Amino acid sequence: MSSVTSNYDVIIVGAGLGGGIVAGVLAEAGQRVLLLERGRDLRYRDIPSDHLRHHRLSLYGDNTTHAPDGHPRVFVDPQGRSRTVFPHEADYHNNALTVGGGSRIWGMQAWRFHPDDFRMATRYGRPPGSSLADWPISYADLAPFYERAEHEIGVAGDHTATDYAPRDRAFPLPPVPATPTGTWLARGAATLGWNAFTPPLAVNTKPYLGRDGCVQCRQCIGFACPSDARNGSHNTLLPRALATGGCTLITRAQVARILTDASGRAHGVEYFAPTTPDSDQTERRTAHAATIILAGGAIETARLLLLSASAQHPRGLGNHSDHVGRHLQGHYYPVVSGLLPVGFQNPNLGPGVSIATTQFNHGNPGIIGGAMLANDFVKLPIIFWRSHLPPDLPRWGQANKKAMRELYLRGIDLRGPVQEIPSPDSRVTLDPHVRDHFGLPVARLSGTTHPETVRTAEFIRARAEDWLRAAGAERVWSSPMDLRLSASQHQAGTARLAADPREGVTDPFGRVHGHDNLWITDGSLHVTNGGFNPALTIMALAFRAATKIAAKF
Amino acid sequence: MPLNQPQLDTLRALLDRLIPEDEFPGALAAGTDKFIIKLLTHDCAAEAPKIAQSLTQLDAEAIACHDHPFVTLPIAAQDTLISALEHNRTATVWPVTFPAGVFINRLIDLAAEGFYADPQNGGNRDGTSWRMIGYDPLLPARPSAP
Ligand SMILES: Cc1cc2nc3c(=O)[nH]c(=O)nc-3n(C[C@H](O)[C@H](O)[C@H](O)COP(=O)(O)OP(=O)(O)OC[C@H]3O[C@@H](n4cnc5c(N)ncnc54)[C@H](O)[C@@H]3O)c2cc1C
Ligand code: SF4
Repeated sequence: MSSVTSNYDVIIVGAGLGGGIVAGVLAEAGQRVLLLERGRDLRYRDIPSDHLRHHRLSLYGDNTTHAPDGHPRVFVDPQGRSRTVFPHEADYHNNALTVGGGSRIWGMQAWRFHPDDFRMATRYGRPPGSSLADWPISYADLAPFYERAEHEIGVAGDHTATDYAPRDRAFPLPPVPATPTGTWLARGAATLGWNAFTPPLAVNTKPYLGRDGCVQCRQCIGFACPSDARNGSHNTLLPRALATGGCTLITRAQVARILTDASGRAHGVEYFAPTTPDSDQTERRTAHAATIILAGGAIETARLLLLSASAQHPRGLGNHSDHVGRHLQGHYYPVVSGLLPVGFQNPNLGPGVSIATTQFNHGNPGIIGGAMLANDFVKLPIIFWRSHLPPDLPRWGQANKKAMRELYLRGIDLRGPVQEIPSPDSRVTLDPHVRDHFGLPVARLSGTTHPETVRTAEFIRARAEDWLRAAGAERVWSSPMDLRLSASQHQAGTARLAADPREGVTDPFGRVHGHDNLWITDGSLHVTNGGFNPALTIMALAFRAATKIAAKF
Repeated sequence: MPLNQPQLDTLRALLDRLIPEDEFPGALAAGTDKFIIKLLTHDCAAEAPKIAQSLTQLDAEAIACHDHPFVTLPIAAQDTLISALEHNRTATVWPVTFPAGVFINRLIDLAAEGFYADPQNGGNRDGTSWRMIGYDPLLPARPSAP
């Protein structure tokens, strides 16, 4: 293996959502940026329309991972049994290993957190055994950067309806069109006296920033968009970074270690990359820069901090107070299914998410936090078969086939991302035995969320049932929630923001305590994960950190 | 080929009951058997031996209960047998590591995966199941995405 060394102003690890955004801001600020991404830069035709191998149902693989066998993890179940897992398995807690990261194939729900999501401990108190804490910043600190994300990524929404989170400016794009099921659900919400409105989605509801509008196909979440109307980092800030000429993107490049000197300053990274872009031969390289930014997602960023232990930092970088990898969280997702009344067929216009309520995000008696509730994306037939047929129906034979025929267009479901009560024992460590393709110890995921999360999730599940019943669903059903580890697509919390270095890993901007030029700009920073999909908050934090970093130059 | 001829015949007979033909084609007409063979040859090769063995066991079970191999049983008897497997009510001894209920549920899943997934997966020829339920991905013929 040969060794190549090069110098930049900034090195960014991971060209996902957060990484793509800082690359754009910093390259446009005149910095020479090296952007290292372990996945590939996929075109539309490179992401198969395979209904068994995509990012919502990945039974035998997914549609973005390159060399899936090369990136195992170890999962430890609540009984303490561990096993090696691969990206397509649920226990891997995958996002997407590709340029754009999760945002390449995401569902585009682009929510601002509620102001109280930043002060959960103050509002509710810290349940024993949990690591519930306030953020060191407030909604007002993030509001200008939410706005920037909405405009520079492209979010479609109704600014008159999202007053739970005060805003100064309308969305740049009109909301997704109303759907018949959305209207039906809106009437249900009205009978209950609940607010309900069109949720904000990062989709081009009309041409925007040089790309086409959504053509309302029926294969949205988990796939590439045929009209490039799904807005992520891969088609906004990343191309802007590359257009400056100052950003070098290297794909299939896995960062192995952050290099630090005796004072704690990060001066470079060691990474593995193909000898030429298409080669299967890899070489070990070193690159140096004045600023290093980690954006590998909550699980891999924690792993990298731990992998970068040195004589001065034997427990890993930023891990002086033992927070790296802890507080791993995502969202519990109660799902409630039902049937539209006989004779009412859902026309299934993409994307499909068209109505939401924030009625139960906070203020639920005896409950900590809550969740936004929304209807779902157009269901693929196989997903409907697996998870949305009435539970008392035979699973096979004529009766099952007839039910698919009669019920597919009558299926309806509601779901919501429940704000988790984090636990310090839900965590990422390095596995002592299993190594990846490059010989590096893999992430080991263990523990569970705090039991209070289950209580909140059960409360939200009951509200979703109320909503479907009030709307007039013919039948309504759902399954109880159990205590488990939760991370997955909404993974967060493993390098949390904290003003006090004893309480977290980074300062309130995302700079790692004790390492002045080492930053984090991904979901790891979230102290708590809101009762909303997390990506707009990841974007806002990335814009805010990048602005701070750029101001220093 | 992960299955021998008798096992393949049993698989086909089983699929014909799991997703039977009615006003619309069933699993066999849609090629779901081929989808399963392909899966057992590639992605699920590690699982193939126990599926093969269980298909042989299904025949033994049919003979023990009804004096005939599964393929030649009347459909009512086939259906009774499938229901019994679902509840692990068996006359013969199935392996504890892969009991009858787990086997039949796996086959039920595989049949549906092939039949309701995209036609390129091979078990939903010409999108027959999608037409039956009213699904079309509505992907543009000429996508504008790069
Ligand atoms: C199917 C799906 C639907 C979703 N829908 C929504 C939604 O509707 N709304 C919402 O808010 N969120 C949604 N999400 C979640 C959202 O995509 C994530 O929250 C977001 O992408 C996380 O951003 P990130 O920057 O933390 O990490 P990522 O976007 O995951 O980016 C991390 C990148 O770093 C790379 N990387 C990791 N380690 C290394 C290394 N050592 N060296 C080099 N590269 C590395 C990874 O390959 C990846 O590309 C969805 C996710 C999925 C998968
Ligand atoms: S529904 Fe719209 S945004 Fe979603 S993939 Fe289809 S065209 Fe793209």
